[in-house]
Amino acid sequence: MRGDAGGESRHRRQEQVLLLISGAYLMTGMIVLYLETGRSGWPMLVAGLMTATAFFMISAFWAKSGYRADPCLLPVVAALTATGLVFLYRLDPVYGTRQFVWLLIGLGAMALTTRFLVDFRFLSDYKYIYALAGLLALVLPIFFGREQGGAKSWLSFGLFSVQPSEFVKILVVLFLAAYLSENRAVLSAGTRLTGRISLPGAQEWGPLVCMWGVSLALLIFQRDLGTGLIYFSTFLAMVYTATSRLLYTAFGMAMFLAGSAASYFFFDHVRARLEIWLNPWPYIDTAGYQVIQSLFAFGSGGVLGTGLDQGYPKFIPAVHTDFIFAAIGEEMGLLGGTCVILLFMVLVYRGIRISLQARDEFAALAAAGFSALLGLQSFVIIGGVIGLLPLTGVTLPFMSYGGSSLVANFILLGLLLNISHEAAGFL
Amino acid sequence: MKKSILRLGYFLIALFILQAGFLSYLQLYRGPAAAANPYNRRLNEFETRVKRGDIIDAGGVVLARTDYAAGYGRRQYQRAAETAPVIGYISSRFGRTGLESRYDRHLLGLEGADQFRNTLNHVFDRQQVGGEVILTLDSALQGKAMALLNGRRGAAVLLDVRTGAVRALASSPSFDPNRLDANWEQYVKDPASPLLNRAADGAYPPGSAFKLVTAAGALARLPGAAGKKFNCPGYLMVSGFKLTDLRAHGDLDLQKAVALSCNVTFASLGLEMGTEGFLGTIRSFGLDQAPPLELPARAGTFAGSSRLQDAELASSAIGQGEVLVSPLQMAMIAAGIANRGVLMSPYLVEELKDSHGQAVQKKSPAPWRTATTPEIAAVITRGMMDAVSYGTAAGAALPGVAVAGKTGSAENPGGVTHAWFAGFAPAENPRLAVAVVVENAGSGGAVAAPLAGKLLAAALAQGY
Repeated sequence: MRGDAGGESRHRRQEQVLLLISGAYLMTGMIVLYLETGRSGWPMLVAGLMTATAFFMISAFWAKSGYRADPCLLPVVAALTATGLVFLYRLDPVYGTRQFVWLLIGLGAMALTTRFLVDFRFLSDYKYIYALAGLLALVLPIFFGREQGGAKSWLSFGLFSVQPSEFVKILVVLFLAAYLSENRAVLSAGTRLTGRISLPGAQEWGPLVCMWGVSLALLIFQRDLGTGLIYFSTFLAMVYTATSRLLYTAFGMAMFLAGSAASYFFFDHVRARLEIWLNPWPYIDTAGYQVIQSLFAFGSGGVLGTGLDQGYPKFIPAVHTDFIFAAIGEEMGLLGGTCVILLFMVLVYRGIRISLQARDEFAALAAAGFSALLGLQSFVIIGGVIGLLPLTGVTLPFMSYGGSSLVANFILLGLLLNISHEAAGFL
Repeated sequence: MKKSILRLGYFLIALFILQAGFLSYLQLYRGPAAAANPYNRRLNEFETRVKRGDIIDAGGVVLARTDYAAGYGRRQYQRAAETAPVIGYISSRFGRTGLESRYDRHLLGLEGADQFRNTLNHVFDRQQVGGEVILTLDSALQGKAMALLNGRRGAAVLLDVRTGAVRALASSPSFDPNRLDANWEQYVKDPASPLLNRAADGAYPPGSAFKLVTAAGALARLPGAAGKKFNCPGYLMVSGFKLTDLRAHGDLDLQKAVALSCNVTFASLGLEMGTEGFLGTIRSFGLDQAPPLELPARAGTFAGSSRLQDAELASSAIGQGEVLVSPLQMAMIAAGIANRGVLMSPYLVEELKDSHGQAVQKKSPAPWRTATTPEIAAVITRGMMDAVSYGTAAGAALPGVAVAGKTGSAENPGGVTHAWFAGFAPAENPRLAVAVVVENAGSGGAVAAPLAGKLLAAALAQGY
């Protein structure tokens, strides 16, 4: 089953060359920050060096264990986390240091995933168990959660708090991949005829409708519009991938729009978000402040940006989490912002490639789902920050400040790599 | 399933491309406005760490300079009140205006090579410096114009007719940008509106000075108008409305009608041109548009074509009725006639230099539009020369230099007429055009013409 040894070591060599580039990029940023802060900035240099080394060591570990996964994913993620880390140190070294620790934990989690979950297929067997676990984890914050930034989606554990929805998204993709690969034939063809369109029965439908319900519940009870939107669009993307039927997607979208329209009329916070998106200026001193400060940041950035530490991204509230892209737009300009979008694009492209090469439908669907999730999440939050979409508070994968998001995304990356590893062995 | 995975991939990639496109639109197209938005606190923040560049006049006089000390740049203005309408001010409380605002990013070293240098300066803890703005404006002439206006409400504009370079753009009364905090209340409440840039933003009925435009239109649109004999009985009946003249001018041709400022002749020419002919002439002089200056400048206003009939058309043709123009526009009309019909784009900024003295932008004069033909300009020029040598504008005459000009005494709701003069010198080989208005000061010939003459003399003496 093993691919030829030459091929896999070539992959790791490519990976290490790319990691060298992203490491140099990270160190450039850290050195600039160090020069600006002076002597007290030495922890930045240490963090930069250790981060670059950690990425390199993971690649070395893979080379040793004969891991055959895609060589592009890790360097792309390294570049994204480097950008995030440099900007967090620039905004506030306290955030930077915490993010650095979480980054190491995330890398560890990914390494463990690629070591112990390398045979990920057993995950499809317990789908209902973790569907329930996931549901529970999502519902808990509604009753015991802590509100942060308008969304009630955090569980507090004394020292740190966890955002379950970041982890549950992985379970959602795995559940859907398992469920859809099992019921694909029935769902695609349908079992009964309704008029001239054949539709599957309620048994096949049930779990999917549940997903829709959970998304809307998230949207309404936790006020976590962004996560609801991402879950739901990922769900639609996976249903479409599995069934190739646009009808389902269109129907799902119509249902989602209906739900959104209803919540627009019934919930003030939804209405406020939409109105600010359409025209933030009347709310410049209140709810529109953040969005307008973000527009100013992008405007002041221009093509090349003001340069690292030359702008005033701190005028934007919550710039270190949801609005980190605005800080990049101001200080690295249109070019920097476009490069970040390009990196996400490459990430999605490699993910789709892995999905196409996957060994079976479960793996293919999981890879497509992970790619769609990463792509859609970055699209939704960047879109919100630049005013293309209504603003919804979600993190920018691998860049925003936040341990839950970072660790969850690294686990997700590990699973994607495992699928790629398996496919490479199969070819 | 491979097909639908591929399609999903295309869809996601398309989303990112859309996003990158929107980001470009946001930063390139909408960016400059957001960067300059008064609610954007960034520019004020930059003042605390950048030594803002100087603004220097055509003779090398530094009009605005920043003294940087202890983390804050304090802007100091020379000849402050005289140049304030052009230079403007920067204030964290009252906003940013004038050229200070227009060239904010250059002055703060946020553009081009300076941006890179200042990033390095910041990294290595050195003073950040901005670029310089070098004006076409001559502060001595600007001061002369302000002295001649002597506190009265009014404005004076002096242009180089060959290039469009603005040598003076005076607005009176003015304000002191060095004492904005102390005097703001008073400036805002003052009925004389010292914060208004009358020269570029003022709206005045031009009165008879506007006959230059009517003359150009008539000569272009009515064949034989140049040689035609007119008769002025001292009044003109237009659909029941009696338009009076100062006196009966008797028989005269167009050149003499300019010299004597005959209302009857120009009102009849306006009627003969018709609504479309008159509006066409206004458009060919660009009066319906804001002059392309680096400062906010007002477009002229005129009666709409439905109302521009009979009596309104006759009064508009002699610069009354609903016609309102700015002193800058009147100076541009005179400059256009002086420059054989070609209006140059007016400009205040000769050059932008970065902090190393490297020129990053140098103005090359450009024609804005062709208002009329050289032949027509020549006929009008002869009329304007006659006006100075024996007609209404005699007050502008200078020893040794032929001056061409046209006066106006514009009726207005405020009572006494506004005194106008628009003209240029030397008449045979024009270099400078001037427009002067003094509000409610009496007749153009008595008040504005001598003032304009003195300003022209000062400019010619300085070699402009």
